[in-house]
Amino acid sequence: MRRLEWGGWVSVAFSGAAMVVGVLIGVGEMVNPGTYTDVRYTWLHLAPAPGPFPNGFSLVVGTLVDPISALMLIVVTVVGFLVMLYSIGYMHQDRGLPRYYAELSLFLTAMSGLVLADNLLEFFVFWELVGVCSYFLIGFYYEKPSAASAAKEAFIVTRVGDIMFLLGIFLYFYNFALAGPAGSGGWAANGFLFVNGNQPYLLGHGLGGNSTLLTVAGIMILGGAAGKSAQFPLHVWLPDAMEGPTTVSALIHAATMVAAGVYLLAVASLFLGFTSTDQLAIVGIGGFTAFFAATMAVVHPDIKRVIAYSTISQLGYMVMAVGAGFAMVGLFHLFTHAFFKALLFLAAGSVIHAVGTQDLFKMGGLRKTMRLTAIAFAVGGLALAGIPPFAGFWSKDDILSAVYSQLGSHPAYWPFFLLAFAAVFLTAYYIFRAWFLAFSGDHPRDPSLGHAHEGPWTMQVPLVLLSALACGAGLLIFVPGFQSLLLSGAGATGIPPVYGTTDLLISAASVALGVSGIALAWVLWGNGRVYALPETSAAQPVRRLLLKRYYFKIGYDWIGAKGVYTIARAADFFDRFVIDGTVHGFERAFALVSNRLRRIQSGVVSDYAAYVVAGLIALFVILLIVAPYVVSRLGGG
Amino acid sequence: MDLSSFAGPFLPEILLLAGTLLIFLLDVLGIRRIEVTGAVAAGASALALLFVVADLGFAPLAFLANLSAGQVDVAIAPGATPLYAFTSLGLVFQGIFLTASFLVALASMSRPSNERGAPIFFGLLLLATLGMLLVTIASDLIFLLLSVEIVSISTYLLVAYTRKDVRSLEAAMKFYIIGALSTTLSFFGASLLYGAYGTTNLFAIRAVAGSVGYPVLVLLGYGFLIAGLAFKATLVPFHAWAVDVYDGAPTDVTAFLTGGSKKVGLFAIFLVFLGPVLFVAPGAGGSPFSGGTVNIGPVLQVTLAILAVLTMTVGNVLALLQKEMKRMLAYSSISQAGYMLIGIVIGTSPALTGATLQMFANVFMKTGVFLVVAGVTALGVGPLIDDWKGLGTRRPLLGVAFGLMLLSLAGVPLTLGFVSKFVLFSSAVEAQGYFVWLAVAGLLNSALSVFYYARVLKVMFFDRPEPDALPTGAVAGGSEPSLLAAGGLGYARATAIALIAVAVVAFGVYPQPVLGAISNAAQHFIHVGP
Repeated sequence: MRRLEWGGWVSVAFSGAAMVVGVLIGVGEMVNPGTYTDVRYTWLHLAPAPGPFPNGFSLVVGTLVDPISALMLIVVTVVGFLVMLYSIGYMHQDRGLPRYYAELSLFLTAMSGLVLADNLLEFFVFWELVGVCSYFLIGFYYEKPSAASAAKEAFIVTRVGDIMFLLGIFLYFYNFALAGPAGSGGWAANGFLFVNGNQPYLLGHGLGGNSTLLTVAGIMILGGAAGKSAQFPLHVWLPDAMEGPTTVSALIHAATMVAAGVYLLAVASLFLGFTSTDQLAIVGIGGFTAFFAATMAVVHPDIKRVIAYSTISQLGYMVMAVGAGFAMVGLFHLFTHAFFKALLFLAAGSVIHAVGTQDLFKMGGLRKTMRLTAIAFAVGGLALAGIPPFAGFWSKDDILSAVYSQLGSHPAYWPFFLLAFAAVFLTAYYIFRAWFLAFSGDHPRDPSLGHAHEGPWTMQVPLVLLSALACGAGLLIFVPGFQSLLLSGAGATGIPPVYGTTDLLISAASVALGVSGIALAWVLWGNGRVYALPETSAAQPVRRLLLKRYYFKIGYDWIGAKGVYTIARAADFFDRFVIDGTVHGFERAFALVSNRLRRIQSGVVSDYAAYVVAGLIALFVILLIVAPYVVSRLGGG
Repeated sequence: MDLSSFAGPFLPEILLLAGTLLIFLLDVLGIRRIEVTGAVAAGASALALLFVVADLGFAPLAFLANLSAGQVDVAIAPGATPLYAFTSLGLVFQGIFLTASFLVALASMSRPSNERGAPIFFGLLLLATLGMLLVTIASDLIFLLLSVEIVSISTYLLVAYTRKDVRSLEAAMKFYIIGALSTTLSFFGASLLYGAYGTTNLFAIRAVAGSVGYPVLVLLGYGFLIAGLAFKATLVPFHAWAVDVYDGAPTDVTAFLTGGSKKVGLFAIFLVFLGPVLFVAPGAGGSPFSGGTVNIGPVLQVTLAILAVLTMTVGNVLALLQKEMKRMLAYSSISQAGYMLIGIVIGTSPALTGATLQMFANVFMKTGVFLVVAGVTALGVGPLIDDWKGLGTRRPLLGVAFGLMLLSLAGVPLTLGFVSKFVLFSSAVEAQGYFVWLAVAGLLNSALSVFYYARVLKVMFFDRPEPDALPTGAVAGGSEPSLLAAGGLGYARATAIALIAVAVVAFGVYPQPVLGAISNAAQHFIHVGP
């Protein structure tokens, strides 16, 4: 073993230990909710004082294990360990390996902290930490200009969301701090936005306060989630984030960090509550993104970017479920999606590792040399396409049923429901288009890729385990305890999904759509075929629009280059002339005084006396003229 | 043996006096080695500190307590005019001052052991600290100003203790002349107040402060008193001497001046002004000069508020412009005094807590940075900030320790400096009214200060040193220094710096014990104190 790899094995050992502990805790909590009590530690306590906090004010750090954080904890630690193990085989360059493992371990720490945080401020701290880890790891190959700029893009775009999230926290805080729970005379000393399953803090007190403010606060939270989970219109960074190592894409940009936005929405909907306007906005963003992102995946030639668009689209489903009031259903899809999407990425990584390109049109016939990878990718694809009994079927079907159940009372959900439904077809099509392009046919289209081979065991084991999870994770729904959890997650606003005839119809329809998507992919791309859209086809402009990503990136670049740069120029001007001018004015004024003072050698004591007198005069001007004037202006006191 | 019956409440003061006398006695006997005299000074400070911590109710040290519960925070009977009174806030400040003297004494033991003047340095250090302890218990203007004088005279001499260095002598001369002038101003103000109130006792003044019939006399009196004490506390517009003195004094003395003795002026302002300021609740009362009686509370409050904003802004702006490390830190020290003054202006117990916490933080941060500067200068690094290029990579531990202190000064979370600023500014927001603007000014200034602290970090960690710019005096045989290298700095100084760095982080991560103790003390002080 090379010395450089020691760090890798240390990370594998520790993340393995974390997985054992995480799974034990997670399963324990899900089987027997309430096993673990909230551990809280008061970081700062301010003594009671008149004002908005008559009971004092505390900043609290704590850990909380409730069923939803238990579910997330399992996802984070299991996928984290498998990706860490896979990295041993996958990452084999000499430079930066220690950095890679350190950053990945820091990410796992931060992500676990985020999942276990028991109040929104702490949540935000870890939220920022995972963001910065994402930035580091996207830019891991920072010598490549595209990687460096992708890292910056991810950081800046998610920053827009982060600021909204922070504003949302402030708004909730402001709203509830001013209103306070009815009859309580202000907040308890430790009542700062806890997200505690046993004590839905704000919901428990009713949604008091100003409803417009609450709606805006909810939209801000949605903005934060949209940034992190790459929802429209903040979706642009995720495809470019594929510049990072594929392992990073699997762990951070598919399974865990991007899901943090959905987790935030779920937590907020369960413990803070959304107004119905917020809910419509969330359902709208989610449903639209599910379709919108899927359309871009349809034409892309890059294997990783296809999967990245698919991630955006699937996150859209989850967001939609949470918005419709079914937080747990959304999280269930998050759970299954984490496994099959990590599987797809790791399988893609295995391909990239073998052939050294991400271009689907250069590949082909790889199933002959890479049987395991081909099967793994197919399993992931079937799960993604929602074919029973693979994991994705159960959770995606639940989402569609759940949203459908709300259509009666919320007709405005209809268009988004239909978009999400249509996306099922596109999903099945694009993922199998990728599979056929890469694995079917006789030989690679680019002949130089002929010598592909499977990776070492460290890469194969995670593929096998994740395949098993992608097959089986959906069966969790048959565990009686989990089913009731799904129902309880419906919260105060929803009607639990009933598994009746309507749902069977929806399932049948979505499976039919999935199968026909796969069939279309086979017709166009199967068996080594390459379908070329005729140059004269009316669909060509659409194809170009999709390849250009609806011109969003170009538009944002234009805003960045023209708009922000203009503002920056103005700020620079202000800084240079106004601020610097003031500063230099100060400088000259004080230099005058201190130069006089510095002439100590002259021994002119009267200089000092003059200085003291000047100070005194200034003081008495303030004391006898300025201060009384200010006091009288302050309204007599 | 019962300690309280043996030495009474003044045990820490007696210890310091005994230490001073012992050092001078050893000097006469010809024992002048810096290790011996330094150990006496550090030991006396540390022991006195333990007593004070015990008095503050730290249970594990309870057996050392020399004050009984009936002696601290006792309500003063109407009409009584005690010269001194023990308050728990005063004890907190005793702890702050003793910490400063302990750290400076410890670090100074690393100076060349044959240095001339070591007994003078350490003796005067203890004597100045003794004066500080007396300031904290004063409840009479005369007692207070005389105690301040003990500190002042000791520190004039401390600045000049090397007797050879022209720059130090120059600084001492400047310090002395301006200090003497400011003392006369203080006493003049006190005499005017005596004329108005007929007493110099702070309790008695507090009892009548709002209802005395000589408004102009009272305002003039307080004006001169502010002027005199503002010199000690380096408030703008009485600050310009400070930078030349801090720059010219031997750096270990500077550490003591900024970390310790400057806070004497601020605590004296606590004592003198919390009385009248509190007497009139914020926002109450009519025109300041109506009806023959002066509503001095609001006027003094606004005056101090203006001084606070001026002090932090001017200090910060000038710090931005400095190219020399010591002068930059000196200006930043001035701006810190402005933050602390905010707490006095607001005058609520959370604000007082914040201000005290800020000083507690400052004693580590400011003493710490100057101790580092002293050590680094002794290694041969030049006075400019740019001379520090690459220090962080050449001496990682020192760089990290210094970096932590700077981050704490800038108020970065998980350091002590964040906690103190958070408590202080949130108290200003809680107090509402125009105090919110003090918080805004404070926050803007903090943001500004991040710039010049971050610049030092950048220079230390990211700029490459020019070849042979960084002296390798510490590095035996030209090899890289080991991670734990205390060589060059000296083990005592390295220990002091390490203690400070640990304290800055430890109290930042777990502030609750200190915060709770200070918060208690502040509440008592407002209800009981002079």
